[in-house]
Amino acid sequence: MSIIEVKHLSKEFKVKIKEKGFKGSLKSIVKPKYKKVKAVKNINFKVEKGEMIAFIGPNGAGKSTTIKMLTGILYPDKGDIRVLDIDPTKNRKQLAYQIGTVFGQKEQLWTHLTPYDNFKFFGAIYDIPDSRVEKKIQELRELFELDEFIDTPVRNLSLGQRIRCEIVASLIHEPKVLFLDEPTIGLDPVVKENIRTLIKRMNKEYKTTIFLTSHDVGDIEKLCKRVIIVNKGQIVLDDSMENLKYHYLNKKIVEVKMKEKVNLEDEDGITILKDKGYNLKLEIDTTKKNVTDAIKLLNPDNIIDINISNIPLETIISDIYKEED
Amino acid sequence: MRKYIFIFKSELMSNLQYVFNTFTGFIGYFIHIFIFLNVWQYIYSDKSQIINGYTMNQMIWYVIVTEILWSVANGRKLCRKISEDVRSGNIAYNINKPYNYIGYSLANHLGSVAIKALIYTVLGILVGLMFLGTIPSITIIEAVIIIITGILATVISTLLITFIGLFSFYVEDSNPFFWVYSKFILVLGTLFPIEYFPKVMQPFLNYSPIYAVSYGPAKLFTSFTWDLFIKLFIAQVIYIIIGYGLCSMLYKKGVKRLNVNGG
Repeated sequence: MSIIEVKHLSKEFKVKIKEKGFKGSLKSIVKPKYKKVKAVKNINFKVEKGEMIAFIGPNGAGKSTTIKMLTGILYPDKGDIRVLDIDPTKNRKQLAYQIGTVFGQKEQLWTHLTPYDNFKFFGAIYDIPDSRVEKKIQELRELFELDEFIDTPVRNLSLGQRIRCEIVASLIHEPKVLFLDEPTIGLDPVVKENIRTLIKRMNKEYKTTIFLTSHDVGDIEKLCKRVIIVNKGQIVLDDSMENLKYHYLNKKIVEVKMKEKVNLEDEDGITILKDKGYNLKLEIDTTKKNVTDAIKLLNPDNIIDINISNIPLETIISDIYKEED
Repeated sequence: MRKYIFIFKSELMSNLQYVFNTFTGFIGYFIHIFIFLNVWQYIYSDKSQIINGYTMNQMIWYVIVTEILWSVANGRKLCRKISEDVRSGNIAYNINKPYNYIGYSLANHLGSVAIKALIYTVLGILVGLMFLGTIPSITIIEAVIIIITGILATVISTLLITFIGLFSFYVEDSNPFFWVYSKFILVLGTLFPIEYFPKVMQPFLNYSPIYAVSYGPAKLFTSFTWDLFIKLFIAQVIYIIIGYGLCSMLYKKGVKRLNVNGG
């Protein structure tokens, strides 16, 4: 049985529109006008137990709306959602005991209290007996390495420490599914890496299903084996990370440093990305031209240095976004 | 219930950081009382005079108690927060927690005013004793009962303010409604007892929230009777049931209309 099952899900928002200027403001009071914005359009997907799935898309694609419908915060207009076989719209409270949520841009901790007091608070909110909460705090403080600051008020913690505590707070009640909405936003690369390692460790240890949205390709690449890309409210890709890379890695980036200037122009399979005289950056479509032939065009004796790399995942993803625009 | 006690406790612990602010706020309360003390001393030319059933001391103690209740239950921050949460969509983050939002709001607000209530009550009585030299004679049981009615009055105020805050699901800004409510309680409920108003207004005031949130507990303090307590207690229970019911209804309907910014 799938942990999350979404069928024909749609959501529309009514947005107030106002004509410009003072006259427009008065008009909108007397006769307000609204337009309908389709945030999510007929999407379908399933998530299996223990999966770490990336649910990504550009701003306004409908990711957060979908997460909020999956967690029972928003009501869908159409479609059917089952999370752990519970309908979030009908049994939101029942579902709340089974899921955890971390919104990177939203604090759920009490800032004047210490992480320890916060964890006790969350234990009480989820009706967990005190002895079990203590045991769980002990377990999670080790897993997430909180010893150093567990007794420091949250307001005095660094962002990275706070996010670790946010994640722990959402795990106190041992949720079966964890929704992470941009958990590494605003963090430096070292802290990001640390958070990712901890999330991975948690997934391995507790078999928690993780539903992640992030604009950070590093999060997606390092954490998830499957990716769903949404754009303009629709799913444009639902595939494994491996397949995504395989299908889109038929392009290579070749960066060369030359002894002498070469006059090279775009041709079928070769796109010149940068030409600074002695330094060239080319994109080679290997389905049309192989790399050896491309290098031959440059005259290998003329090359001082060469670097051949795959297209970064970030570019692949933004290309997919653009394709759908 | 344990979770609501924890919400209360957590907010109380958070507010311990602001004890100094509460003492500072008491200066404003003190000035109010000082002004009214002088006004009533001027109106009552003779200390033994009785106006509308109140001696001068009773009248001043009445204002001391109603001002404590009004200052403690003043939920401008609560109303603004609910209103802001609804407009910005932040209320969403409370929705997917396994507690009742109205219960959360109530426990949270009571936690935030508990220290203020304690400080204002102790200092308010000291101010009364300092100026008047005597305190209405009440037994310990009566004192406990008055405190309970004071707590119930704060619960009712919180529910009414939550109700006003939740208007934001339907109007752009519910703060003007709060302003009207707050001034209604201040002018008609704290400065003068109901007996001071024209006869034609009195039945209306007796059925209004003023009776349950302000007049009743203060009247009990100045002249305790069991009869008044029973009437007040029934009125408070009815107001709590109605207030809670209205809040729940508005919340349930409002949540379905919720648009969350950024998704």
